[in-house]
Amino acid sequence: MPTVSSRTSLFETIPTHVTAVCLTVCLAGLAYSQNPRWTIGMSQCNLGEPWRVQMNADIRKTAESAPEIRMVFKDAQNDALRQSAHIDEFVRAGVSLIIVSPKEAAPLTRPVQEAYRKGIPVIVLDRRVIGNQYTCFIGADNKKIGRAAGRWIAATLGGKGSVVELKGLMTSTPGQDRHRGFRDGIEGSGLKVVFEADMKWLEPNARKEMESALTRFGEIAVVYAHNDPGAHGAWVAAKAAGREKSMLFVGIDALPHEGQMYVRQGILAASFEYPTGGAEAVTTALAILNGKSVPKEVVLPSRVYTQKNVNTGGELVH
Amino acid sequence: MDIGTRHRPRLFITAAVSLLLVLLLGVMFNGEGAFFQWETHRDMLRQMSVFGILACGSTIVIVSGGIDLAVGSILALCAVVFSLLTIGLGWAAVPAVAVTALAGIACGALSGGLISRFNMQPFVATLAMMVFARGVAKLLSGGQKISTAVQDPDGTFRYVDVPRVFETLNAKTMGDNLAVVTIVMICCLVVCWALLSHMAVGRQLYAIGGNEEAARLSGILVRPVKALAYSLSGLLCAVAAMCQAAQEQQGDPETGSTYELTAIAMVVIGGTSLRGGEGSIGRTAIGILTIGYLEKILSINAVGEETRLMLTGLVIVVAVLAQHSQTNRWQSV
Repeated sequence: MPTVSSRTSLFETIPTHVTAVCLTVCLAGLAYSQNPRWTIGMSQCNLGEPWRVQMNADIRKTAESAPEIRMVFKDAQNDALRQSAHIDEFVRAGVSLIIVSPKEAAPLTRPVQEAYRKGIPVIVLDRRVIGNQYTCFIGADNKKIGRAAGRWIAATLGGKGSVVELKGLMTSTPGQDRHRGFRDGIEGSGLKVVFEADMKWLEPNARKEMESALTRFGEIAVVYAHNDPGAHGAWVAAKAAGREKSMLFVGIDALPHEGQMYVRQGILAASFEYPTGGAEAVTTALAILNGKSVPKEVVLPSRVYTQKNVNTGGELVH
Repeated sequence: MDIGTRHRPRLFITAAVSLLLVLLLGVMFNGEGAFFQWETHRDMLRQMSVFGILACGSTIVIVSGGIDLAVGSILALCAVVFSLLTIGLGWAAVPAVAVTALAGIACGALSGGLISRFNMQPFVATLAMMVFARGVAKLLSGGQKISTAVQDPDGTFRYVDVPRVFETLNAKTMGDNLAVVTIVMICCLVVCWALLSHMAVGRQLYAIGGNEEAARLSGILVRPVKALAYSLSGLLCAVAAMCQAAQEQQGDPETGSTYELTAIAMVVIGGTSLRGGEGSIGRTAIGILTIGYLEKILSINAVGEETRLMLTGLVIVVAVLAQHSQTNRWQSV
């Protein structure tokens, strides 16, 4: 709003004032007509990743069936400080509950703590913050998923063969956990990792690294990639060399239109779901708002999709 | 018109020296003989093709005294447009290629127009275009990759075939010895070389990059020629985008980020100065090969990420320093 310093400027700004008042009335009317009981702020760290787009879609879909809540989404565009500002904004706007999928633990711990101490319930989704000043953490276990992938591969190949591991960004915890879990899973089997490279979650990099692996090794039994685009990139490289039929491709994430589709098309032998937790976050939020107690930590189960079970909704990973 | 390229053959040779050093590295660390197989070289050329096509456009822009930071984003936008038309709408190859090319030219012309008509600094104008084009790419794609899994309004997915034009571009030719995208890159290099070295407009670009005021006084239509440079860069982004989409078999709105830096690195490793007014496509070709071989050699030896980044930075510095000292020596002779 412009500052009104004199009578003339007041007259000059009358049209602006009228417009602003009309807009406010319209917005208020709109909000009133929807009449939700609670507003939930959702702070997403980066909508540049398909998996996070899916997370928001899951939240939106679940929230649509609950007319008593209204969702407000904010995208921090992969910037931790912007995300921390978003949480402060939610607190000032007086939302009833905050769902946050943090970019990083350290910079987001303070805003989450402050919101929590002011009595606003906070659900932390997927990545953690430091300490325990939040209402509930919902996430999956990357290490467990990596271990399951390792065991599945060892069992499928009868415990022998050479492995190419295409790693996600190794400075990120999901990359590290999917790597360590996998190595745990294949330990003791006859599987040997002959080639490993950091493809930074990106398909073109995975294709590039796989081409190098293919020229160096005549026999590759399986490619384990830390995400499905990586596994797909490796498949494209193998197909170009005419060798895609002689090896298996295994990926992680299993998004409906990505990993699950690749399995259905026969490109991947298996994809391990890394659940977004979007639906669980909304149901947990509703429970909190209705005064029910919720566990401090929810570990989401993962599902494995193979050619056999992809049309029947996959199988739970134990 | 003398365009200050007296030392061009010598500079070409100096640029080739850093390439030879990288090749020597490959001979020493050959990944158990992988470096001596033609497939390694063929794959390297394939990987570099998209970057190489972008570097052609960047050479033209840099010669004219400008810089184009938007190439990665325009690439993403065009990849999304191309995929939407071919996969989503099932268009035939020719109209889809034409519309994608027009989209690229339009983006380039827009930044070129801002620079030449409104005297905006190239860095600022193309920075704005870099952000803007990425936004359009995300808007058109709805933030998702445009792949062969097409979502119907009821939320279920159905799969369509990979378009034929994707298969064609993603294929290999000449008895499986060269990727089609590499042929596309070579064509781009040849066309841009002819434009810069053998056409009037090429000489005008050098003149504008060397001294814009002098070029204006000598009767060159500076504004349209500058706008043309960015439009050509936009067109080359569209060509690269089609190659990228075909290889990824999808239109990814996130693709191509930081590609502009690789393209610029290829140009400067070739010895082209960012001050403008000099440089050549031949030297950019050397830059493309130098970066390409370096990456490939590090890849076949499965070298860790830290070492890769440090070595790439080192090679850029060494290559440019070598040429700098050579130019100085020759100029003082």
